[in-house]
This record gives sequence, C-alpha cells and structure tokens, in this order.
Amino acid sequence: MWSDLLLILDATLRMAVPLVLAAMGGVFAERSGVIDFGLEGKMLGGAFVAATVAHLTQSAWMGLLGAIIIGITFSMMHAFASVTKQGNQVVSCVAINIFAMGLTTVLGQAWFQRGGKTPQLPPEARFTTIELPFAEELRVVPVLGDIYYELISGHNILVYIAYIMVPLTAWIVFRSRFGLRLRATGENPLAVDTAGISVNATRYKALIINGILGGMSGAYLSTAQLAFFVKDMSAGKGYLALAAMIFGKWRPFQAMLACLLFAFAEAIQSRLQGVPLPIVGVVPVQLIQSIPYILTVVLLAGFVGKAVAPKAIGEPFIKEHK
Amino acid sequence: MNEKTENLVLVVLITTVNLLLAFIISGLVIWSVGEDPWFALKTMLYGAFGYDEGIGYTLYYTTNFIFTGLAFAVAFHCRLFNIGAEGQAYIGGLGVGLVCLWLEELPFVVILPAAIMASALFGAIWGAIPGYLQAKRGSHVVITTIMFNFIASVLMVYLLVNVLIKPGQMSPETREFGENGWLPQMHELFSWIGIQITPTPLNLSLFWAFICAFFVWRYIWHTRWGYEMRTVGANESAAVYAGINVDRNIIIAMALGGALAGFVGINEIMGFNHRILLNFQFGYGFTGIVVSLIGRNHPFGILLASLLFGILYQGGAELAFETQTIDRHMVVLIQGLVILFAGALENLFRPQLQALVRSLFKTSTPVAASG
Amino acid sequence: MNIHPESLIVQEIFMKKIVLAFITVAVMCFGLSQAMAFKPAVVFDMGGKFDKSFNEGIWNGTEKFRKETGIKYREFEVQQEAQREQFLRKLAQRGSDIVIAVGFAQAPALQKVASEFPNTKFSIIDMVVDLPNVQSIVFKEQEGSFLVGALAAMKSETGKVGFVGGMDIPLIRRFACGYVQGVKHINPGATVFQKMTGTTPAAWNDPARGGELAKSMYDDGADIVYAAAGGTGLGVLQAAADNNKLSIGVDSNQNHIQPGSVLTSMLKRVDVASYEVFKTANEGTWKSGIKVLGLAEDGVGWSLDQHNVGLVEKDMIMRVEMIRGDIISGKIKVHDYMSNNSCPVQ
Repeated sequence: MWSDLLLILDATLRMAVPLVLAAMGGVFAERSGVIDFGLEGKMLGGAFVAATVAHLTQSAWMGLLGAIIIGITFSMMHAFASVTKQGNQVVSCVAINIFAMGLTTVLGQAWFQRGGKTPQLPPEARFTTIELPFAEELRVVPVLGDIYYELISGHNILVYIAYIMVPLTAWIVFRSRFGLRLRATGENPLAVDTAGISVNATRYKALIINGILGGMSGAYLSTAQLAFFVKDMSAGKGYLALAAMIFGKWRPFQAMLACLLFAFAEAIQSRLQGVPLPIVGVVPVQLIQSIPYILTVVLLAGFVGKAVAPKAIGEPFIKEHK
Repeated sequence: MNEKTENLVLVVLITTVNLLLAFIISGLVIWSVGEDPWFALKTMLYGAFGYDEGIGYTLYYTTNFIFTGLAFAVAFHCRLFNIGAEGQAYIGGLGVGLVCLWLEELPFVVILPAAIMASALFGAIWGAIPGYLQAKRGSHVVITTIMFNFIASVLMVYLLVNVLIKPGQMSPETREFGENGWLPQMHELFSWIGIQITPTPLNLSLFWAFICAFFVWRYIWHTRWGYEMRTVGANESAAVYAGINVDRNIIIAMALGGALAGFVGINEIMGFNHRILLNFQFGYGFTGIVVSLIGRNHPFGILLASLLFGILYQGGAELAFETQTIDRHMVVLIQGLVILFAGALENLFRPQLQALVRSLFKTSTPVAASG
Repeated sequence: MNIHPESLIVQEIFMKKIVLAFITVAVMCFGLSQAMAFKPAVVFDMGGKFDKSFNEGIWNGTEKFRKETGIKYREFEVQQEAQREQFLRKLAQRGSDIVIAVGFAQAPALQKVASEFPNTKFSIIDMVVDLPNVQSIVFKEQEGSFLVGALAAMKSETGKVGFVGGMDIPLIRRFACGYVQGVKHINPGATVFQKMTGTTPAAWNDPARGGELAKSMYDDGADIVYAAAGGTGLGVLQAAADNNKLSIGVDSNQNHIQPGSVLTSMLKRVDVASYEVFKTANEGTWKSGIKVLGLAEDGVGWSLDQHNVGLVEKDMIMRVEMIRGDIISGKIKVHDYMSNNSCPVQ
C-alpha cells in the first residue's frame, strides 16, 4: 500500500511536469491581460522542434533551445496579432493551435517521411534520469529514505527545472518590479499607461517568458518523457494546463497544486482501470478523466471559493480614446 | 455614397486582402514541399465544384459551418465568446440520435420535428449552462465553454462505450436506426424527379441552415429581443440603464447559440451517419468561430465564409488524393493560415486599406472603427 | 531487272495492307493494354499509413507490390467520417480493379459502396463484409498472441507479465485473451496485468500514456509487457528500454526499434495480406469470401532476428516452435475471445 502510494505520487510528479511549465507560462500571459490557450500549440511546436533539433545535433540541450525559440516565435505571433494589431486574442489562440497542428505534421512528413514521427533519439540526445546523491544509501532510513529515493531522486533535469520555476514565477510575479507592472497591466492598463509605462511592451515581455515556458513543456514531452515526436502529441495538455492555472486562481503555487491534482487523477486512472473500489464498485475511467474540467467549472462558478480573472484580460489596449 | 457603403467596401476589401495573403503563404508552403501551387489551386477548385459529387460534399461541409458559424455569431452580438460550439454540436447530435433511436417506429413527419427540437434543446442546454454561469456567477464564458467541450467529449465516450454501443461490435457506435429517421439526401430527392446524381451526404439540412441564417438575421436586426441583445453586447451599462435584463439576454444568447450548433447533429446524425458515433462534430465547432469572424458575424457573410471552408475541406481532400507529397495535414495548415490572417490578423492592413477606401470615396467623414 | 508495273501496284497495295495491319495490331495492343492496365487502390483509415503498426503494415505490402511490378496504385488517408464512403466510391468510379479498405471501421461504408459497384473487387482487412465482390481478410490474432505469451512466461523471472492494449474493443481483447492463455499454458500461476489505453481511437496514438501504463506494470513487478496498441506501443517499448525491462512488439517486426529490450514481436502479416490481394487480383486469382489467416497460413507468428536472438535461448525457440506445431495440428486449442465475448482465463 505504502509503496503503491509512492509509485502513484512518483507518476503524478512526472506527469504534472508539462502542465506545470505550461501553466506558469499561462500565469505570465494572463496576468498581463492576454488570454492564452495557444499553450497547446506552443507545446506541440516545442515538442516537434525539440525532437527534430535533438536528432540533428544529438544534443537534448540544443533541442530544448530550439523548443524555446519556437515557443517564443508562436507567442510573438500571438503578441503581434493581439497586442500590436489589436486583433482578437481568442481567435489568435485558435489560429496558433491549428497552425501548429498542421505545421508539425507537414514538416515532419516532409523531412522524415514517417507520417510526422521524428526519428528515435538515443539516450545521449535525451534528458535521462538523474540519481541524486546518496539516494541508494539513504533508502534504509524509514519513510523519508523511501520518499527521497522514489519521489525526489531519479527524475530528469526538466522535472527539477519545472518545479524550480514555480517559486521563481511566484517571486517574479509578486515580488519583482516587473511583476508589479505585469499585474497592473492586467488589472488596469490605463493606469499603467498614465504612469508612463508601456502596456504593450510589458505584454510583449510577458509573452516572451510565456513562449519560453510553453516551448519547454513541449520539449519535456518529446525529449524527456519519450524519445521522439508523434503527431498531436500534446493531446489537450495545453488546455489542461490552462484549466489548472485558472483552478489555481492565476497564482503559481496554487496552479502547481492544481497541475498535481490533475496529474494525480491521470495516474490513479491508469491504476484504477477495471479495479472495483469498496462501496462504489468500478469507477468509469471517463468519470476520472472529466474531474479536472468539472472542478474548474465548479470553481469558476464560485461554488468553491472564487476565481477572479485579471480585469483587463482579453482586451487589447487602445491608447487613443475618444 | 454614404458611410454605410464605404464601410461595406472596406470590410469586403480587408477580408479579401487577408484571405489572399493566407492563400499566398499556403501556396509558398505547397511550393516548398515541391508541388505546383497553381496546380493545387486548380485541383482544389475542381474538387470542390468540378462535378456533382464534389459539389455535394462541399455543400455538405458548408452546412455544418453555417450552423456553427451562426452559433458563434449570435452569442458574439451579445459580446460573448462561444468557444463551445464543438461540445454543443456533439450533445445536439446525441439528442437527434436518441430521438431517432427511440421513435424509429413513428413516421418521418413525426420524427423530423422531434429531432430538430431535441437537437436544439440538447445544444441549448449545453450552451445555456455556461451562459448562466457567466450571467449569474461571473464565470468567464470562454473558459467554461472550453471545459464544456471536454466534458461533452468525455460524456459521449462514456455513453457510447458503456450504454449506447451496439453489443459485440468494434467501434463505440449505436446501431443504425430505422429509415424513418433518415433525412432525405439530395441524390434521393433528385432521383425522385428522375435525375441521377452521385450519392453524397448532402441532405435537406442545407435548407434548414438557410432558414436558420434567415431567422438569425431577422432576429438580431429586426426584433426587439435582438435589439436588446445587441445593446447588451455594445454597452452593458447602457443596457442596464435602459432597463434591459442583461443576465437574461446573456443566457438566451448562449442558449440560442447552443441550439444552432446542435443542428450539426441533424446534418451529421440524421442526414448522413444514421447512428450516433464518436467525434462526428470534430473540428466544425472551432472552425465555426473563424467562419463567423470572416463573415463579420452577419448571416450573409457566414454563408459565404461557410462555403469557403466547405471548399477547403472538400477541395483539400481532393488535393490530398491527387498528389503524392501533399497529404491531409496540409489542409489543416492552410486552415490555420486562413484563421491567422483573416481572423487574428484582420487589422494588419486596416489603416492602409481604410485610407485607400477613403480616398476612393473622397469623403471626409471618419469611418467608425469596428471590432 | 524488269519489273512489271502491275506487280508494283500489287506490291504497293500489299505494303499498304501490311502497314494497315500493323497499325491495327498496334491500336489493338494499345487498347488491350489500356483495358489490361491493372489499377489497384487502397483506402487507409484514420490512423494514416504511417501509424507504425496496422496501416503501415498494409502500406509496406502495397509498396512491395509496386516495387516488384512497377504498377502504381492510388491511395487515400481518411480524415473525416464521410470520406470513407466518398473515396471508396471515387476509387471504384475511376475504374480501380481492386480496392483495399483498411480496418474494421470502413465496413459500413464498404457495405454501401461495394453493392453499388458489383463489378469492382474489394478487400477489407480485419472485418467481414458479406458481399459477392468483397474479400474479407481476418486474422487469428489469438494464436500469435498465444505464442508470445508462452515465450513471455518462459522468459519471465518474476512470474508477472503485462499487456497494454490500445482501444478497448473486442479485437484487442482477442489479443489479450490469447496472450493470457499462452502465459498460463507455461506457468499456470503467473500473474498477467492487463490495461487498455483508452476507449476512443485516440488510444492508438498515445505513446506517453502507453509508457506510463507499462511503467506502472514494471513498478508492480512485471518484467515483460506486450503492447497491442498501435502507435501507443512505441511508448511501451521505450519504457521497457528506459527501465531495463523487456517488451513485446506487435503487427510488424518491431524488434529493431529498441534492440535488446524487445523480446519478440507478434507478427500479424497484414503486409503479406495486402501484397497478396494486389498480386492475386493482378494475376486473376483473387477470390471473394472470407479468408482467415492463422499460424497455419503464416498470417500470424513471432519474430526472431539479430536484434533479439540474444534474448531468446535455444530451448525456448524449440518449445515455442513445438507449441506452434501443436496449435496448427489442433492439439492445443486457443480460445477466440470474439467467439463468445469472454475469456476463460484472466
């Protein structure tokens, strides 16, 4: 039972990584007042580029860099369309998601002729697991030793980066000067503008960070979790990350907890399959699958706490008011 | 020449320029994978219009886009982003299928209105819940509708896998329902008057789509309710001041949008598949957003934009069939570009085109910026 | 030399006749070759021809035919529900001699189109469509799965093995049931973990989830996991390699994907099937009706090549081959899940 629990929690930590990275990206974008469910597209693009570059250079780090660049490219497309040209943010997101889906498969097919799948990466060109010091030796310590060995040690570097990103994001958003401007831009752009700070520049900066994180989440899928890219690899995880961010009320730590919760739902879902539980019997997998979405709606509806979006979200900032 | 014509010319010009840009870039992509863009264009147009079967399929796809486009437009006039047409269409189809399965003994004339009502009702409920949550609880409708798409998808999988599946078969689908529940297809209608055309899924739903477009136009611009809805959309506080019930309008707009999206079920389930199956609505809902925006949220514009996407779907399939290097994913890419340029980047050349139109009309009246 | 003018004329006429005859023959030949030009076609299902599994197997077979004979074929990958019918019909209209419909999902569309074009030949893989111009090819996946299950039980050190299925449909349960029977045949006390990736077609293409499912089995003590899950299986194979465990591939020979950690692959020779369909149709020996391919017909089997030869010991090879013979001779009866929608062993 104890080891089962540890294994489930271990799987939860791993599966939450792409969600955490993308959700942090979402925090930056939405805190600045820009809707972003183009995370799905950035994740997909990042996964494709990471696998491709890692294959060509035989270096996972170059792959990661490539993923970050494509993430930034996509978020700059989003910024140009919705910040500079004041187009519709929602439509821009839809465009990026569909564009990424088409582009990754078309290019993948044109370059590798394997139906969008990229070549298998050797272990050297991937992010493989790292054993933390003394993990094996400390196993003898009851409880804590197990936790250290199973949960904390033995992940790849992106896992650790993802969880470091959470306090970092929190610090930037709530403690730094940039964070203050960021939040103000999302709440009251007019005041920010009056104070002589460029609303659009702040949003651009936010979206650059957003692109970096979105791309990284994709790199995790194709160069850490697996060793290749396949079409539609993100499979809705970008939307799930967005839901987690909202569920976390646009706050990094809460968003991370929501990601963990959603990943936990997925982890137990694999294990509960066909296993009857006491009292309720066999739980349909679909019920567990729908938990994240239902929870998000319930929370948004204010039945459990209240999630309030940044006030200026979705509104392009137009300087010339008549 | 008044301001209205000037605006119209501007809108048409902007849309055309943006679409052209999207197609030029698509052409470049096609060229870069080693195919002739001109040949691709000809193949697509031939595939869409060159023969009876192509036309049938083009219009069949068009029908779906009209419904989902209208579903987005109605809510948009109340300034609501209905991203949920995908889920509303899915659930609407469930309603149609259930009616056809349960009432299959009854004559067609009974089933048809029941199915239409069921699709409208199911879709409307799936739209009205996010509408209610927006109106009464302030939950952002964009997010709730996205969540409702996922919930609809999971729900349908559950129902089809565990409840509705025809026992012993591979795909999670219901059994085919009786012919009383089949909406006549165009080739059947033609054969009744002695003309033989190639069978396609195109069915009577197309006319229902036209009727819906007409009523949406009447409703939004020529009724008191439509006026209220547009007032809420234009300026919520002014609407409150004018004594308009904002909450009610939001819920109604979302319910109407959901009902319209639900009609995709009539076209897909009753008109073609004759059974409930997974993902029959796939992609139509999201594309509907773009259809509506390209069509400037006006039913007439939506009809044209729906036709454009019908051509892209059918012509694109033809293109994938005729060429070796272009496969089905190229069409997705082209759609993405169309959405990017004609939707998200619609303001790209607005200032220049505005200046151009103004100089053409030689008028000094400023054009009201829209959107 | 004196030549009679008349004979010249005769000669000229004669020449004209010869030329004419030549032209006639040429035209006839051309016309004949036009009529004879063999036009095969294939409609892939939603997974697409590069799904690393089922559709790709078909494609390998049709490509082999093209390379051997130089005869090109038409193909289409279905993307929308309505396109199955559309392109089956279009290919029939264009005068295709034989059209392969890939996968059970095409059965309703084929039923319709094949009755509209009684003179066109159709072959469907993995499903039965009962029409005079349709050949239905189905496989005894339970027999091949039985073999790899037996091998897994011989190789397993923990007495625990796993099965990751793709979409939860009777067809995949047939794989699972054959596998479990094979395992229990060797080791009645063995534990078999069975998990399905999902209940929708997306379950065929979700390697991340496949990897997680396999990892959970390895964590629970399994040392060999059999993946019958299309593209999802790649994640299972990856998880085996990453965790220093073993996996079993499916459909085509997947031993080379992760050399050294794929114990074997359960071969389902869809490539042979599609190749044979084109070949027999070209030679005029194609027959409609149901074709069931099992071990005896070499329609299913297990793979042994340079990538896994180090994993399978000599006596294992002999024992597996003996079981193979016993199944063919009928000494061992393998239960088919789909015959009564249940499996006698778990």
